[in-house]
Amino acid sequence: MSNQEFAGRKPLLVLEKIRENLERLNEKIEVMIELQKHGRKDLQQPLSDAPLDVMTLLSMPDHLRKTAMSLCRIGRATAEEISEQTKRARAVESAYLNQLVIMGYLKKERNGRKAYFFVDRENHG
Amino acid sequence: MMMGKILAVHSYKGGTGKTLLSINLAAALAEHGKKVCLFDLDFRAPSLSTLLKIEKSECWLNDYLNGTCEIDKAMLDLSEKVHNSGKLFVGLANPATEAIRDMSAKDRKWEMRALGRLLALRTSLLSDKGFDYLILDTSPGLQYSSINAIVSADLVLVATTFDRSDVDGTKRMLRELYDLFEKKTEVVLNKVLDVSSKAGKEEITSKVNDVYQVPLLGIVPCFCDILKARGGIIFAQEKPDHPFTRILEEMAAKIDKMA
Repeated sequence: MSNQEFAGRKPLLVLEKIRENLERLNEKIEVMIELQKHGRKDLQQPLSDAPLDVMTLLSMPDHLRKTAMSLCRIGRATAEEISEQTKRARAVESAYLNQLVIMGYLKKERNGRKAYFFVDRENHG
Repeated sequence: MMMGKILAVHSYKGGTGKTLLSINLAAALAEHGKKVCLFDLDFRAPSLSTLLKIEKSECWLNDYLNGTCEIDKAMLDLSEKVHNSGKLFVGLANPATEAIRDMSAKDRKWEMRALGRLLALRTSLLSDKGFDYLILDTSPGLQYSSINAIVSADLVLVATTFDRSDVDGTKRMLRELYDLFEKKTEVVLNKVLDVSSKAGKEEITSKVNDVYQVPLLGIVPCFCDILKARGGIIFAQEKPDHPFTRILEEMAAKIDKMA
């Protein structure tokens, strides 16, 4: 890439970076909101590696069960993909998915700008 | 091409005719030219191996769920019994006492992995191998393996009778289990006395809709021939003109029409 070309793309790259950071910030805020909703107990004792089995699914509140079931079926998905299945807003699914991560039922992985959620069935116990 | 479907056949109580329905429904769908696979997930009381007179299998479904064998090694091809181009495969639960004991002592983490392996069948059997139907015959009641099957299924068929304790239990199960998973459910009423008249049938249909609030897929009358066969005959294959076969064919056609 020539210097001139690079100079021309620079503002774009900066904007991209800002957008990326904003999205991450947004996600962190969503997690904080979820944590606050459920009191300090969760903050002190984040569950890790809780199995997402059918009995757990059954005992979950309805709103989380819908998200968890949908992810179970797809296997690995972004909040966007889950929201297409559940017909709920992406931000809502993102909040629920992050809450399920905090509860230890799901794992989260980043691939560039996208965050993927999945059930880590094989690495349990 | 349309993606295949997973059906789970379940009931609240035992002896409601799950296995009879599963095997004949699988045979009826295969006779319709479909590619069908029937799995015995009743690990507490395996019965398909006895009914099909198969004593040995390279692998059992137990092994697949344990993660020690691939799914195709646990499937037996019974297509030669089908009278047309349809295909019928079966996967069996290990009937050995030791295996039954082993399966009933699994923990939650194992059950979670088993659920993952059942869910993976959607890709391995329906997408990759082009099966039209995977039918899961389950244990009665709220068993882990049965709930795993229900969660994996697209459609749940609930076999029930007019027995009072069965009606109450089934009602509760529909509300407190199936509704929570938002599963598409249909009821099959089995062992019904006197459905000869059209009015009688209509009365039963509206009664079932009233009690269970889910659609009725079919009514199966009490047939002495079924009792006499003692599980030794697959009616949908061997008795094409029997009224029981006709009823099963109607159910299979209804299922095939569902989107």
